[in-house]
Amino acid sequence: MSLTDILEQFAYIANNPNAILKKYIEEGKDVIGCFPIYTPKPIIDAAGAVPMGLWGGRITPTFAGKYSPVFTCSIMRSCLELGMTGRYDGLKAVIMPILCDTFRGMSSSWRAGVTDIPLIALVHPQNRTDLGAQDFLAQEYLSVKLRLEKILNREITDESLHESIKKYNYQNALVMKFSKLALNHLDVIKPLVRHYILKSAQFISVDEHIRLMENLIEELEKLPEHVWSGKRAYFIGITAEPDELLQLFDKYNIAIVGDNLAQESRQFRTDYEICETPFWSLSSQWMHIEGCSTVHDENADMLEKFIIKEAKECAADSVVDCLMRFCDVEEYDYPDIAKCCEEEGLYCLCLEIDQSSEDNGQTLTKIQSYSEL
Amino acid sequence: MTEQKAEKPKRELPLSRQLVNKQTEDVYASAWAAKEKGESIGWSTAIFPQELCETFDVPVLYPENNAASISARHFGNQFIEHTEGEMKYPINICSYARLNMGMADMMKNGKFEGVEPAMPLPTFLCLANNSCTQLMKWYENLSENLSIPIFFVDCLFNYNEEEPDAYKNKYVRSQIENNIAAMEKFFNKKFDWNRFLEVQRISQVNRKLFNEIVALNTRMPAPLDGFDLFNYMSCLVICRGKESTTEILKQLKKEVEEHIANGTSTFRGTEEYRVHWEGIACWPNLGFNLKTLRKYGVNAVMNGYVTAWDVAYEPGDLNGMAKAYQCSSTNSFSTPSIMDMRSKSMKKFACDGMLCHVNRSCKLMSFHIFTGRDIIEARNKIPIVNFDGDQSDTRVFSEAQFENRLQGLVEVMKENKGGK
Ligand code: SF4
Ligand code: SF4
Repeated sequence: MSLTDILEQFAYIANNPNAILKKYIEEGKDVIGCFPIYTPKPIIDAAGAVPMGLWGGRITPTFAGKYSPVFTCSIMRSCLELGMTGRYDGLKAVIMPILCDTFRGMSSSWRAGVTDIPLIALVHPQNRTDLGAQDFLAQEYLSVKLRLEKILNREITDESLHESIKKYNYQNALVMKFSKLALNHLDVIKPLVRHYILKSAQFISVDEHIRLMENLIEELEKLPEHVWSGKRAYFIGITAEPDELLQLFDKYNIAIVGDNLAQESRQFRTDYEICETPFWSLSSQWMHIEGCSTVHDENADMLEKFIIKEAKECAADSVVDCLMRFCDVEEYDYPDIAKCCEEEGLYCLCLEIDQSSEDNGQTLTKIQSYSEL
Repeated sequence: MTEQKAEKPKRELPLSRQLVNKQTEDVYASAWAAKEKGESIGWSTAIFPQELCETFDVPVLYPENNAASISARHFGNQFIEHTEGEMKYPINICSYARLNMGMADMMKNGKFEGVEPAMPLPTFLCLANNSCTQLMKWYENLSENLSIPIFFVDCLFNYNEEEPDAYKNKYVRSQIENNIAAMEKFFNKKFDWNRFLEVQRISQVNRKLFNEIVALNTRMPAPLDGFDLFNYMSCLVICRGKESTTEILKQLKKEVEEHIANGTSTFRGTEEYRVHWEGIACWPNLGFNLKTLRKYGVNAVMNGYVTAWDVAYEPGDLNGMAKAYQCSSTNSFSTPSIMDMRSKSMKKFACDGMLCHVNRSCKLMSFHIFTGRDIIEARNKIPIVNFDGDQSDTRVFSEAQFENRLQGLVEVMKENKGGK
């Protein structure tokens, strides 16, 4: 497969989750919807089902307003709308980690508005330094497994869980390797291309994504190194969308050199420890997550420090905060991040992201000013 | 001759209210005294296990309660403006947080010119996320800005309607125990388990008394204007484990019983309709809301918010206490669980309608209102109206919209009563 073919495949997958869902269903596969950000995907894979990320879409919700206030983040409003209007039909269940207040509310909204797709909710322990936290999470994941077994009417064995955990760790390693490699090929791995590669993992099985990533890395390694002379941005936030936004960065010769986006690198940064029991392995991942707005850390400045360290490691000259409108967990973190960036000599750009409204031109102005620095 | 404005004679507050004011003053005074002596002072979320600091005898103040008082006195905007302006926080986060983080920052940087009631800056924080996740983010920010530690009890959200599983309880209990150990180190004091038992006992007496008083409002007409409950709620928020609260509530109960015996009420006017008020009060608009409700003969006899401090357990049972903190607050439950409680309560209080505050600050309470509507309409067959507001941000509430929506509610309630 040529590099162009591989990149086209990533782009197709990232842009057509609905067609992929239909294809899986036609093939007789069970598909489980996964709400952002941390669903225990190995449990789904071990059940022989496909985990499919639910990240909303570019729509203007009309029905979702019945079960969600207007000041709900657009991701959840559009997920609810897509659920209520049948676009997610065929999913055997959805799994929702209750990471924020919107999720607390959405768990009931989903059950009220999308009655034929069962919801498996779970909650992560936020007091991670407490000795009981991991024990609790291992039990919570076990409970997810039991609920999933009931829905799929099949047993999920420890062996298959161990196998799936290994696959996800391998996928993490591949994505991290790609991120590094991409720095030498920023002429090819343009912002949108990079976004498609990482986002596509949300909509296909881990095996398929691994295969594509292996091919991609192989092809990239064949290319001569390219020295990038344009600007270098490190992206943070929930998602960097829509496509037009990333195209603007490309237009102004700005590369994305790394990210802490919930939809992208946050998905691949933390491995599962290999432990004796699969549930201890699964829960270990959460205990080690760093630099995420939805995960409490005892060190209050952990997030800013993490972002600065990462941005510097990939020689970024700016931090672009794709701030999801009405996402309070991210909104609370923005001021300290901006302050820290300033102190560390990194330009900080804040772009408001809203899936359901058109940009009013402010984004362009901000990107232009950054590019002219 | 100087023109003289006729001053409205101020009504004397009932003794119970005077006692509440005195209690609040004392709590703030003891925190300021601790400050003078360089001792520990805590800021705590509203439904943190207060039994711990009460046992350690360390003063604790409650930013949510403080923000409510400041907002009701219309002093909040200066802090909110500071948070949104200089501190660059987005406008969408909870206005209690905006008010409090702004106040803390201004105090820290000496830009503070005093406000009533003023809290001294804390030396530690107590965080329980049973009310919401935003509290966690708010306290993370305070902790960073003030460089002080957090004692955290993660209460877990009850996404199902069933009893929480035992392993959840185990985690919450483990945190309470570990916090006690950590506090012993931080305060350099031993935890007195006998005193703890006593505090638990007092806390239970207080919450039961409050429940009994609230239940008296099921009488028709109600002996209390339902909004009065907001005034007494602070005893449970800031002094749930103190004997002074027992005294106040006993006094209040006596006053309510007197109203019942005399056929009087604190509701001024004729109670034509009884409604359930869903959500927090719009503190800056309290007076207007009260006046408008009265104008239409509507007594908001009951509201779900005031019952959030009904943290019920057997003294001496730590598992029970952990479970009670996990299962308190409107926002720790799924919508069907909450609406089941509301539906039963509205039947008990013979409510003719439900008036819901779609609070711009409080996402989860608003979610409950949207998703719960079908449940209440099906079960209680009463009209429901929503109005937009906020507990502290004065830019959201509209007097015209409130009155208009209330009128709509009254019309349907009137029809349901056969046009009378
Ligand atoms: S508020 Fe933020 S964290 Fe919560 S669902 Fe929305 S985007 Fe995700
Ligand atoms: S008002 Fe709502 S969002 Fe704000 S602190 Fe209270 S529960 Fe949380």
